[in-house]
Amino acid sequence: MKWHLNPLLLKEFRQRMRTIRAPLVITAYLFAMSALTVFLLYENVQGQLYLVQPTKSQQVFALVSLLQMVVVAFLAPAFASGSVSGERERKTLAVLLTTPVGPFGILFGKVVSSSALLVLLVVLTLPVYSLVFLYGGAVPAQVASVLGFQLVTIVVISAVCVLFSTIALRSTWSTVFAYGSVGLMTVIFGALGYGLKSLYEQNPIDYSALVWSHFFYALDPLYVEAAFLGVVSAAPHVWVPFVEFYAVVIAILLVPSLWRLRPQWFSWLPFVSGTEKQYQ
Amino acid sequence: MILTQNLTKRYGKTLAVNNLNLNVDRGVIFGLVGENGAGKTTALSMLATLTLPSSGRAYVCGHEVTREPQAVRRAIGYMPDSFGVYDDLTVMEYLRFFAQCYGVDRRTISRRAEELLERVRLADKRDVYVNHLSRGMQQRLEVARCLMHDPDVLILDEPSSGLDPKSRLEMRSVLAGLRELGKTVIISTHILNELAEVADEVGILLRGELVAVAAVQVMVQHSSAYRTIVIDGRDLGDDFVKALFADPHVAEVRPLTPGWEVLYAGTLAQQAELLSRLVSEGYSITQFREQPTDIEQLFLRLAAIQEGTIS
Repeated sequence: MKWHLNPLLLKEFRQRMRTIRAPLVITAYLFAMSALTVFLLYENVQGQLYLVQPTKSQQVFALVSLLQMVVVAFLAPAFASGSVSGERERKTLAVLLTTPVGPFGILFGKVVSSSALLVLLVVLTLPVYSLVFLYGGAVPAQVASVLGFQLVTIVVISAVCVLFSTIALRSTWSTVFAYGSVGLMTVIFGALGYGLKSLYEQNPIDYSALVWSHFFYALDPLYVEAAFLGVVSAAPHVWVPFVEFYAVVIAILLVPSLWRLRPQWFSWLPFVSGTEKQYQ
Repeated sequence: MILTQNLTKRYGKTLAVNNLNLNVDRGVIFGLVGENGAGKTTALSMLATLTLPSSGRAYVCGHEVTREPQAVRRAIGYMPDSFGVYDDLTVMEYLRFFAQCYGVDRRTISRRAEELLERVRLADKRDVYVNHLSRGMQQRLEVARCLMHDPDVLILDEPSSGLDPKSRLEMRSVLAGLRELGKTVIISTHILNELAEVADEVGILLRGELVAVAAVQVMVQHSSAYRTIVIDGRDLGDDFVKALFADPHVAEVRPLTPGWEVLYAGTLAQQAELLSRLVSEGYSITQFREQPTDIEQLFLRLAAIQEGTIS
């Protein structure tokens, strides 16, 4: 069988990259990241470049990486949260659903196209990291793992946002859910992990508090990124529960999303009578 | 080609389509006429595999819509009653995108797109952004989009809705051209006269039920000879009424609040000319629309003819 690239993906790439917005975002972001990195490196040594040490360079690398993670985490919903609800509002979804592309093709195309610009941003910052390499402090394997985890986080957040955008009928609501999810991932889970760890430190007998603390920390992409950077001490494969948990979340969200797109697939269920409202 | 057997759709307690039995043969252009809320859109969306029937069966090209939806999707081109277009795509890219959704190969796409743009009279707009086209052009483009994968069946839900008389005329000629392609077409509308030169057969849908099916000429013959046009605008006073009566097809003009109701005996083309003339004479017209045929009256009339109470 002949292999075809998802047509939705091609269309979305064309639409997203055609406007002035995409190059502007990329240029502004690269400029900001470069300026920040140079400033941090320079500020660390008070202008005396011979004072640059690998440990200081490592701190700059950690700070820039964490900042990049925050930026991509909060930019991802901007690209993904209106993806399917926007199609519904523009009244283009019904026609799309009568093509053989199908719900999985639509969701896949939307997740990949929403992630694409952010993935491009992350990849394009590699030369910025080379400034840090110049003075040592970060090895390529560490940089690769940090960037790799950023890419995973982008795809996870985009997937969650696209699914919420399918479940919520309006873009306003899908944006609320999307930013709520990112807030939960980056702030609430981290705060819960920190709170439970503090509880354990006050009362070391309560071991379950420590277990739950590790669990919540592992769901926070900033914490996992910090673990990759060696800023915090964590279990060796702290990214595994992160990936597992969000894979389950995505699988759960997929069910109502498919119901919204193709209720016919659920007609075998005893409570589906064919009198339900249509959402295309 | 299209067959429905007791096709029914309920939304909660509301019966949208009730035991619809249709049989549309290959190559036939079938018009489904009904007032707003009669169930036309629901019936067509069940045929287009978008809506799950509550009961009954529907077959398109021999494929049952709930059991073989993917085969049905490949066999149909569906144009919904209200649709949107993608911004930042040119006409050619728009057609190419939908053809790719159906897996049409690249060389065929370019050739077919050129042919179809010629057919819907948009050949000179191939590099124009879709969102820069007028509504009428977008609706013609939708017809071309439906044909990109060369389906056997076209399902067109109110293809002329919201268009001015000139655009409706252009759309009507595009629809009439579908006959040459030998496609089976089902078109819904709430204006019976629109089907006069397009359809072979017409079915009347009344509150979800198909109450009559007849040849289009029979239907049109028994509907009123007059079209009712509602016109509104700024400062349309007595001189405007005089300007209306300058058209020999204007039979009667009645005041509305706001605007005027015109009983018109001319064709759609003459209607378009009337609008052009009024605009060229400097009248500021904000609304110029044809009132739908009173389907219920038409059905009662047909029923009375069948019963022999009137001739």
